[in-house]
Amino acid sequence: MLALEVEGLVKTFLVKRKPEGFKASVRSLLRPEWTEKTAVAGIRLKAEAGETLAFLGPNGAGKSTTIKMLTGILHPSSGHARVLGMVPWKERAALAFRIGAVFGQKSQLWYHLPPADTFELLSRMYELGRADYLRRRDELVERFELGPYMQTPVRKLSLGERMRCEIAAAFLHRPELLFLDEPTIGLDVIVKRRIRELIAERNREEGTTVFLTSHDPSDIEQLCRRAVVIHHGTVIFDAPVERLKREVLTCKTVRLKLRDGARLLEKLPGGVRAAEAGPSAWRLSVDTTTASIEDVLAAFVGHCAIEDMTIEDPPMEDVIRAVYEGKAGGRPAEEGTV
Amino acid sequence: MMTPALAKWHKYRAVGIITVKQQLHYRVDFIVRALFLLLILFIFIHLWRAAYTSSGSETIEGFALNQIIWYLVFAEAVTMACPQLCVRIEEEVKQGEVAVRLIRPIAYNGFHYMTYLAEAGLRFIVQLAAGSAIAWAYMGSPLFGWGWAGLAALLPGAFTVAFLLNLAVALLAFWVEETRGMEFVLQKLNFTVGGMLLPLELMPDWLERVCGWLPFQAVLYFPARMGVAFDGGRLAAFLLTQWGWAAALAVLCAFIYRRGVRKLNVNGG
Repeated sequence: MLALEVEGLVKTFLVKRKPEGFKASVRSLLRPEWTEKTAVAGIRLKAEAGETLAFLGPNGAGKSTTIKMLTGILHPSSGHARVLGMVPWKERAALAFRIGAVFGQKSQLWYHLPPADTFELLSRMYELGRADYLRRRDELVERFELGPYMQTPVRKLSLGERMRCEIAAAFLHRPELLFLDEPTIGLDVIVKRRIRELIAERNREEGTTVFLTSHDPSDIEQLCRRAVVIHHGTVIFDAPVERLKREVLTCKTVRLKLRDGARLLEKLPGGVRAAEAGPSAWRLSVDTTTASIEDVLAAFVGHCAIEDMTIEDPPMEDVIRAVYEGKAGGRPAEEGTV
Repeated sequence: MMTPALAKWHKYRAVGIITVKQQLHYRVDFIVRALFLLLILFIFIHLWRAAYTSSGSETIEGFALNQIIWYLVFAEAVTMACPQLCVRIEEEVKQGEVAVRLIRPIAYNGFHYMTYLAEAGLRFIVQLAAGSAIAWAYMGSPLFGWGWAGLAALLPGAFTVAFLLNLAVALLAFWVEETRGMEFVLQKLNFTVGGMLLPLELMPDWLERVCGWLPFQAVLYFPARMGVAFDGGRLAAFLLTQWGWAAALAVLCAFIYRRGVRKLNVNGG
C-alpha cells in the first residue's frame, strides 16, 4: 500500500528584490520588483507504507517545502500529491489525525510548562480516549525514558531531552506516517544514536512510515532503507541506502590528535590517505570500500599515543557532488522507485 | 464513548487550560501592566474630578463621577487584558512556527480564539482587581446592582469582537511582512471611537451616531457602560449588536484565512 504518491509537485514563491542603496530602496517602495523563485520543481515520488525514507539535499534544495506541502501546510503551485490517500492541502484537518511531524528547529512543546501538559493537550487535540491516552503516554514515557523530564518545565530541559520529548509527543496519536525534518540537528552523538534507535523501534513495532530529512549521513545510514536526494527542487537520486553507502558514502574522515612527541604509523594502512598532516594533528581520509573503519581505528589505537580522535561522515554537499558526478547511478525521479 | 461534539469541546477547552497555565508564568508582565493601569487611573481620577468641579454639576450626560471612574476601570481592564494577536501571528509566520499550528487537527482561527479568550480572561481578572483597588479607595464601592451581571454577560462578546477585529488584521501577515501599522490604527480606533476614554454619550451627537455604526463600541463601550448603568432593555440590544458583529467578522476572518493560507510562505527549515 502506498503511504504517499507525488506527481510533478511544484512550488514557486514570489520574492521581493531589494537592490542596494537608498535611492533603490525608495524606488522599491514605490515600484517593488518581484522575482519568481522555484523551491520545488516537479518532484515525483512514491513511498510504501512502513518504509523508512531519507529525503536528502543541501540547504535550499526544497526538502522542507516538500514536507510542508505533503503535510498540507503549503499549497503547491501545481502538481498532485496523495498522502495516505488524501490530498494534503485540501484535507489537512482529516490528514492531521493520521500523520505526525517533528520540525527539529521548531518546538511543539509549551515552553514554560512540563512536557506532560503538552502531552495532555495533544491527547485532546487528537481526540484520544482517556484510558487509551494514559496507556499510550506511559508506554512512550517508558520507551523514550522520559520519566525524569515529564514534570520539568521545557525551558529547563537540554536540547537532547527536549527532542526525545518532541519525538515521543509526535508518536502519541500513533501516526501512520511521520515526517521528521532534521530531528537530530544540534544534538551530540550519543543522543543522536538514541533518537535513531527509538524512531527505528517505532517503525519496526508499529509499522510507522518514516519520512526523514537530515544533513547527517549517519541518520540515513542507521535509520533509513531508501534515500532520495533532491537538488534545486528535483529528485536526482532515488535508490536503497545500501547503494548510496556503497557508491557515495565511501569515505570517512578521521581526525587524530597525538600526544606530545608521539609519532603516527610509519606506513598508513591500505585505503587510508593523509589529507592534512601536522606535527601532532592529522586529518585522514578512509576509503571504506577497501578498509574497514574498525580495522583502521584498531591500527591507530594499538600503535599510536592518541590524545583525541573523531570520525566524521562526508558532508551532504560532498554526497550531492558525488551523485552529480555520477559516482552513484541512482535512478532518476522519472523512473520512480517503490 | 465521546461524541464528536464533546471531543471538539474537550479539544478547545484543553487549549484554554494550557494557555492559562502558561500565562501564570508571566507574573512580571501582570505586575507591570497592573502598575501602569494604576498610574493611568490615578491621572484620570484627578482629571475627571477637575472636570466635574468646573461643570458645577453632579452628573454629566447622566453619569456621576463615581460611574465615570468605574467606567474607566472596566474599559481599561478590557483594553489591557487583550493579547497582542497581531504580534503573535506575525511572529508565527516570520519564524515559521505557523507550521506547528497547521499540522494539528484543530482550526487555526479556533486555536487562536481559545488562547485569546483564556489569556484575556485571566488578565481581565488581574487588571480589574488592580483597577478596583484604586477606584474603590478614591470613589467608594462599585454598587451598580445588576451592572455587574450586565458586564459579565457582555464580556465574552467583547473579547470575541476584539479578537476578530485583531484577527482580520493579523491574518494579513500571510500576505504582507508587517501588520503592526494596521494594528496601531485598530488600537487607536478602539481608544477613540470605541469609547475607552469616555462613554459614547459624552461625545458630540454626530460622532456618537457614527460610533453606533462601528464594531468598536462592542468591545469597550458596551460592557463598561452596562457595568456602571444597567439597563435591561439595552442589554438585549447590546448583546444582539455584539454577536451580530461577531458573526459578520467571523465570516470575514474565515474568508481572509482561506485566501491567506493559500498564499502562505512558511519560513525556515
